[in-house]
Amino acid sequence: MSNTGVSLESLDKDQIKTFSDFLLSYNKLSELCFSDCVNDFTARTVKPNEEKCALNCMEKYLKMNQRISQRFQEFQMLANENAMAMVQKAGASG
Amino acid sequence: MAQMNPADQGKMQMMQDLEIEMMSDLYNRMTQACHKKCVPPRYSEPDLGKGESVCIDRCVAKYLDIHERIGKKLTAMSMQDEALLKNMNG
Repeated sequence: MSNTGVSLESLDKDQIKTFSDFLLSYNKLSELCFSDCVNDFTARTVKPNEEKCALNCMEKYLKMNQRISQRFQEFQMLANENAMAMVQKAGASG
Repeated sequence: MAQMNPADQGKMQMMQDLEIEMMSDLYNRMTQACHKKCVPPRYSEPDLGKGESVCIDRCVAKYLDIHERIGKKLTAMSMQDEALLKNMNG
């Protein structure tokens, strides 16, 4: 018990948030890839092509996420620069 | 900034948290939308195709553009409403 107490104490708010985000995206990914890849219920077991599809789906989604996050950051940086320029302009004229 | 009272600091923190939450909501919705529009549900390989990649780039740009435009229009409309209300009351 004392062991779990120590490890729980060392978990800070950010770590818990990261873990919960991970679990949420895990669930979302399962739902998405299951609905896109598994449509045949004439057998009880997962077929090789279904497994391949689901794993490809996961990998592709992660790569897509990476790309979107890259672009998103670029846009945010641009927006920040514009905001800074606006502030400086207002400061110079006012 | 250092002499802010605790109540104001709390409000600041709340506003910042709200902004972060809003941004991550925007991000998640955008990801969902662009995935639906750009990646067809045929997963024969694990890599993004060239067309898919280009589509995603454009999708992000357009989504954020629309987000900004709607924000501007919404602000303008609510400001107009407020002015109208003020005129009616005053």
